[in-house]
Amino acid sequence: MSLIRTENIYKNFNEIQVLADVSISVEQGEVICIIGPSGAGKSTFLRSLIQLEKITSGKLYIDEELFLHRENNITQYRIESVKYKSLLLEMGMVFQSFNLFPHKTALENIMMAPINVKNMPKPQAEALGAELLAKVGLAEKADAYPARLSGGQQQRVAIARALAMEPKIMLFDEPTSALDPELVGEVLNVMRGLAESGMTMLVVTHEMGFAREAADRVLFMSDGAITEEGSPELIFSNPNNQRTRQFLNTVLGI
Amino acid sequence: MKSANFARFKLAAIIIIIIVDILAAISYFKPSKSELLGHIPPDLISEAGNKYSEVYNNYFVFNIARGRDVKTARSATFIGFVGQVIPADEGVASAFSDVFLWLPALLDGAKITILLTITAVLAGLVLSIFLALGKIAKTKIISGFCSAYIFFFRGSPLLMQLFFIYYGLPQINPSLTINNKFMAAFFAFTLNTGAYCAEIIRAAIQSIDKGQFEASRVLGLTYAQTMRLVIIPQSIRRLIPPVANEFIMILKDASLVSIIALADLTHVTRSISSSANNVMVYIPAMIIYLIITAVFSAIFVRLEKRFSLYQ
Ligand SMILES: Nc1ncnc2c1ncn2[C@@H]1O[C@H](COP(=O)(O)OP(=O)(O)O)[C@@H](O)[C@H]1O
Ligand SMILES: [Mg+2]
Repeated sequence: MSLIRTENIYKNFNEIQVLADVSISVEQGEVICIIGPSGAGKSTFLRSLIQLEKITSGKLYIDEELFLHRENNITQYRIESVKYKSLLLEMGMVFQSFNLFPHKTALENIMMAPINVKNMPKPQAEALGAELLAKVGLAEKADAYPARLSGGQQQRVAIARALAMEPKIMLFDEPTSALDPELVGEVLNVMRGLAESGMTMLVVTHEMGFAREAADRVLFMSDGAITEEGSPELIFSNPNNQRTRQFLNTVLGI
Repeated sequence: MKSANFARFKLAAIIIIIIVDILAAISYFKPSKSELLGHIPPDLISEAGNKYSEVYNNYFVFNIARGRDVKTARSATFIGFVGQVIPADEGVASAFSDVFLWLPALLDGAKITILLTITAVLAGLVLSIFLALGKIAKTKIISGFCSAYIFFFRGSPLLMQLFFIYYGLPQINPSLTINNKFMAAFFAFTLNTGAYCAEIIRAAIQSIDKGQFEASRVLGLTYAQTMRLVIIPQSIRRLIPPVANEFIMILKDASLVSIIALADLTHVTRSISSSANNVMVYIPAMIIYLIITAVFSAIFVRLEKRFSLYQ
């Protein structure tokens, strides 16, 4: 069963086409890495899934239910509002720039959404927060404000914050690109653990090592379209597409 | 997290207590009604319509301006009331010795100035939150109205706004009359500072990183929750310096109310100066302004430090 499916998604920013006919399907438990050159539309695609951007045209299915259908910037169909909210919450997102709430401690950052969105009682949210902090290896940082944490620690708190809403699928938009090289590993380790625990993940990344070992499938995106897709072995050792080969040569320095 | 909230309440409570203390100390200098009336010739009391504030302003302020003891000032008082001016025959040095006689009236005026500034800025801040959120709202009518309001009150002179509310409104419709000068000034200053603070708040909200809105939205928070829990708490620290600035501006602009004869610090200073024919009173008056400004600046600096704890 697919958790998320897109059909012919297009996105224009004032006449400039950023996504062109993107159709993908994400199965339960799958880890998909999206790679591709900067400006290819990878972020825009993730943001379109979680409704931070309005698609120009196309269909989006969540849990096999038609969630949104738009044509030429006009909404043809949108699932009713209660369902809309609950299906949207099946996605969690982690940003390149962490976006933690700077005026809240690590624990409070995690507790905020469960308390205010799910009406979870505070003691329960606190227990959940502590558990998730332990899971990302930051149990002792519960009372630290984000400014006191390293980039890697902040990103791990951000992952815990997203997990607190118990999403079925996690979207990662270059989660390690803003980090100093020595801090990348700790975040990737958390993500690896998450993948092993069976979480469905859609990861935009430039970490080819991570993509090669953790991904079930790799999508190569360029000029707003998915131009190649396949198993990591296939993409990394024997890409068909000339663009893919060029890109891998550049990033892997081959 | 609980203790951080508590610390904020404690700080607010301390500030309020300090302000109340200052006001109490100031009013301590003002003679009570019976005390004052006891010193004033009976014919004068009836002349003033037995109104405490009028007797106080016309008689007491006048006499301390003359540098005389209230009890012995009867003849001088009559001269004063018919508008004659007695030239000061003493030198500058002795003019300054009158400071202690002027002080109670000056502090009384300062009390009005402070009270007007605090109440108007507080009410203006409440008003400005709605104006700021309204101006950035997506609904065109709401944002248009709020923009127009802000444009009008920032773009026209405060003195005119004050005149319009005090003298203009009653002519439009008698039911709009505001008899109390303090209330008229309070309304004018609130409406005016509300417009300025709205721009401050709008700028602070829009200076918050877009990622904060996106993270909130992705977590499922509503717009109202995002504002209340994420954006406004972060804006507060950025708001404090410009709001402090606005507070000081209003404190000084409050001297405009002397023109509608509300007995603020400037008005008291002017009446003392003209009835005593002594311009030296402006010096202690300005020193009082400086002290008030310094005290409030210090309070705002402490507030800012409190709110920057997490940064
Ligand atoms: N808000 C926006 N307004 C206009 N153009 C945008 C906006 N966001 C992204 N773009 C453009 O869309 C293209 C794809 O951007 P993006 O999705 O961020 O690419 P990637 O994440 O693959 O680097 C880029 O050319 C970028 O300039
Ligand atoms: Mg990107």
